[in-house]
Amino acid sequence: MAKKVIVAKDLVLSYKKNVPIIKNSTFSITSGSFVFITGASGSGKSTLLRSFYGELRPRSGSLHVGGILLNDIKPSKLSFLRKYLGIIFQDYKLIKEWNVKKNVMLPLLIAGYSKDVCEAQTKRLLKHVRLEGKEEYYPVELSGGEQQRVAMARALAHNPVIILADEPTGNLDDYSSRVIWGLLEGANEQLGSTVVVVTHSIPKDLNVPYRHLHIENGVVYEIS
Amino acid sequence: MRSLKNHISLIIPLFAILFTVEFYLLIDKIIKNYEKYLSKDYSIVVVAKEPLKLENLRQKIEDVIKLKEVDSSLVLGRLKQTGIDLDPDQLKSYLPRFYKLYLSSFPSTQRLQSLKEELLQIEGIQRVETFTKTHEKIYKFLIFLNNISKFFLAIILVTGLMLVFKQIEIWNLEHSERMYIMALFGAPFWMRIAVLLKLSIIDTLISTLLVYLIYLYLLNSNYLKELLGVEDLVAPRQIASDGLWLFGLGLFISIFTVIVVSLREPKNR
Repeated sequence: MAKKVIVAKDLVLSYKKNVPIIKNSTFSITSGSFVFITGASGSGKSTLLRSFYGELRPRSGSLHVGGILLNDIKPSKLSFLRKYLGIIFQDYKLIKEWNVKKNVMLPLLIAGYSKDVCEAQTKRLLKHVRLEGKEEYYPVELSGGEQQRVAMARALAHNPVIILADEPTGNLDDYSSRVIWGLLEGANEQLGSTVVVVTHSIPKDLNVPYRHLHIENGVVYEIS
Repeated sequence: MRSLKNHISLIIPLFAILFTVEFYLLIDKIIKNYEKYLSKDYSIVVVAKEPLKLENLRQKIEDVIKLKEVDSSLVLGRLKQTGIDLDPDQLKSYLPRFYKLYLSSFPSTQRLQSLKEELLQIEGIQRVETFTKTHEKIYKFLIFLNNISKFFLAIILVTGLMLVFKQIEIWNLEHSERMYIMALFGAPFWMRIAVLLKLSIIDTLISTLLVYLIYLYLLNSNYLKELLGVEDLVAPRQIASDGLWLFGLGLFISIFTVIVVSLREPKNR
């Protein structure tokens, strides 16, 4: 039986007291699975994802990620947990003062890898996301699709146990979207990473089996 | 240009703090050195019936460092030259003993007075004469400067610290996005604030160097030497050690501020 990497029990999330965004939701995500979370705009998809990486603490109920209870997690433990996560944002969240190479290296530097290992892994990943030759570019010099591929390479750099993606192809052209989905599939199939994607619409040509969670009126339902 | 302005905004308050601290330290050192210098320029003459011993005196007055007997034959010789017919040996047996007393530091007028009283209480001492030279005005001025510098130190320390705090807060805001992204990938606290630490260390180094060079120039200029009439106001070794000390203080202030400001990040980061 596959291990559960995310377990939510009667989870309530809110920014303001008594205004819940996610209401009493119970669900779990098993290791190695590919999960889509859908819902209308403002339904709480991104809020739910934020809670998975400890950005938002449960108001009530419980939330375990990687076996760690996030309700009252200490900053040092949260840093520890995040080393095993790869996060992708719709707005990329690249460090604008750093070039492509250093941005991709970030999780490796945090993990304490040697410079040689960081260099080699970064080179391999940039080739993988088809950005070889753009190592020295700064984010502002890249297109949106290229920036998202850099963010993708950064998220995959340290072989994360869980990849959390918030609308990863929301602003991208078809080519970049296909590259991103291909990379997410690859990470799931080849590395065994659990992939959780928040999106408006599930791509039709996906080549991996997936689960579909849907949020309606603040409650998380399993669709398939 | 913006970056330069940012650096100057931290360098100026740090410079002000370090400059005032060094001013206070330096005045203190100059006073001590000046006291040593003056200590060679006063004399206390003790007249005693019986021989005095330094050890016995030091038991009662700790800051006595030297006791030198004045040879009475010199005085008698001078008297003889005036033509007075004297029997030196006979006269010598009647004369009391004269001593010159040296102290470890320059005594104030009050100290000289109390010293005189303490000496007169010692058995065998008949009379004490003290002679001070004309340096007391400068000495009093230095003491006044020392007291004023304490007051300025307090004001500049408070104002300077507030400005340092403000500047680090600005830096923190400027780099907040980078630190936030690093936090999302699990960077430890020290790694996140490394950029702020680096900036503050560079600015501390610049401020310390500026303070150090200005004081080095002032102390080597003839103006102060002439004003005080002393050749070496402060030993070069003392200025160098002050430089290190100031750098340490500057580092402490800036690193402490960086940590305090960064710890006030939202808890959920």
